[in-house]
Amino acid sequence: MRRLLLTLQHAVAAPTRNPRLAVVIGRLLGLAFLVCFGTGLYSHFLQEPLPWMHFPTFPGNLYQFTQGIHITAGIACFPLILAKLYTVFPNLFETPPITGIGSLLARASIAVFVGASLVEITIGLLNTYQFYPWPFGFREVHFALSFVIIGSLAIHIGVKLPIIAKYWRKRDGYGPALAFDDEERAEINAPLVDVLPAPLQKVPGARQVSGLTGRLFRWIDAAPAEQPGTATSTSRRGFLVTVGVGVAAVVVLTAGQSFALLRPFNLFAPRVKGIGPQAVPVNRTAVAAQVTETAMAPDWALTLGNGSRTLSFSRAELLAMPQTTVDLPIACVEGWSQMATWTGVRLNELVRRVDAGQGAALRITSLEKEGGYRVTQMGSEYVGDDNTLVALTLNGETLDIDHGYPARMIAPGRPGVLQTKWLSKLEVLS
Amino acid sequence: MSGRELSGPGMSARTMRLTRTILIGVGVLGLVLGAVVLVSKQDLPAILRVAAWMLGAIILHDAILSPIVFLIGVVARHAGRRVSKVVLMIIQGGIVTGCLLMLLVVPEIYAKTLPIANDTVLPFDYAARLGFMWLGLAVLTAGVCVVYLRVAGRRNVVR
Repeated sequence: MRRLLLTLQHAVAAPTRNPRLAVVIGRLLGLAFLVCFGTGLYSHFLQEPLPWMHFPTFPGNLYQFTQGIHITAGIACFPLILAKLYTVFPNLFETPPITGIGSLLARASIAVFVGASLVEITIGLLNTYQFYPWPFGFREVHFALSFVIIGSLAIHIGVKLPIIAKYWRKRDGYGPALAFDDEERAEINAPLVDVLPAPLQKVPGARQVSGLTGRLFRWIDAAPAEQPGTATSTSRRGFLVTVGVGVAAVVVLTAGQSFALLRPFNLFAPRVKGIGPQAVPVNRTAVAAQVTETAMAPDWALTLGNGSRTLSFSRAELLAMPQTTVDLPIACVEGWSQMATWTGVRLNELVRRVDAGQGAALRITSLEKEGGYRVTQMGSEYVGDDNTLVALTLNGETLDIDHGYPARMIAPGRPGVLQTKWLSKLEVLS
Repeated sequence: MSGRELSGPGMSARTMRLTRTILIGVGVLGLVLGAVVLVSKQDLPAILRVAAWMLGAIILHDAILSPIVFLIGVVARHAGRRVSKVVLMIIQGGIVTGCLLMLLVVPEIYAKTLPIANDTVLPFDYAARLGFMWLGLAVLTAGVCVVYLRVAGRRNVVR
């Protein structure tokens, strides 16, 4: 086993697999994970706020930005984590694999980090196009694994800190080439199969190379083992350029779903800006929400209650009120977003009609038959904001039913799932 | 490991020890929090399935992807004896970039064969785009190789 591990370590050694490059790529990967973690927590608490939490409503496209960054940084993690694993691959064959409790815990934390990270970014990516081939809850597991990743990352950095500190700057070199002592080298160079005839075994340098494994390793060993300094430097540069090009490619060719600037380069994202009814993409359709009849009912009315005081407004009555127009994005948790022009009644003017005071929060109910976002709550910071509307038109036209006809909520800096469509009831919370 | 070895440039052994202790402490807290969240929101079978997925991801990387990359590397090292090393790296870079994009796009191609939520989800013909991407990447890679060989050739002539 020891010989096998040493041989594998020797075989996978390369100029690009050194501590300095592991640190360089690790820094970028760590940063990307921290960005994902921070923006992910923000998105999570927007949807499940703790009682004391208040969120900024300016700028109105704040969530569009944070969630776009979340998804884009998550996509950038694919090339970065693969590059990081590439640079440290020989460590997989370290021998002895475990030297004590400390090394066992260190290796276990790395295994947890690698496993959790790969699962996290994979399910996150597939969620962006609502593809769920896994047998567990996405939101819950994605949230829990984020702590596991940050925890195991912190442990990993703690364990490797001396190496990280040593190779943080380029001037301190790239780290030693993989070194083997005499005994290890003897094991690596020992005959692969001990069936060499006795007379031949005495010949200096004679090695058994029969069999597939033997031939393979002889072929590998025939490759130039030592490379001059300029060649290894070229390898390192080539590796970093490849990682940079890989990250740029996956980001530039997908981030157009989140950032208008990159829209012309959007070749592979699961969403595109500017498509769908009224040039705005849709997440949940009226058919999926089972509202095609209730939303079109002629007797539809929006009920607004504050304790015992209740008012109801037909769509015509809402249209007869002072109308406000705002430009706000629909920004989905899945990362895509679309800026649009909305016209409707200011929510703070509406709730004043039922004598709701400053600082009132709302419970919002949709016509949807079922779903986790059928009933949601809106904090007072959004209720009181002048840009929060009960929207009646979109981009100058009557709301399409897939965008929430007869009336929907639109507020600055909120996730799309909380911009409730097909409004039914608003209740002031004391 | 001695205290001197433990400390990196600009960091005393004491600071290093303290930083490591804090990081490992924070890390353990993170792991515990993650475990608590997982246990509170998923039942045991679901947690075991998450663990199975994590193990599967490690096996996929360590036992399948990495050996493939290793074998490609071995082939490249041998080819490197006949082909310019830089040209080889440009070709490798092109292949790696294409494979990374393919990693993201192939699941989209598959997901598009399943019932999707509406027409604004996965709106492109991803298979065709992937094909054109490989074609474009091949042309681009070849172009970069040609430019490099010309520049390198000119430099050699000047020398």
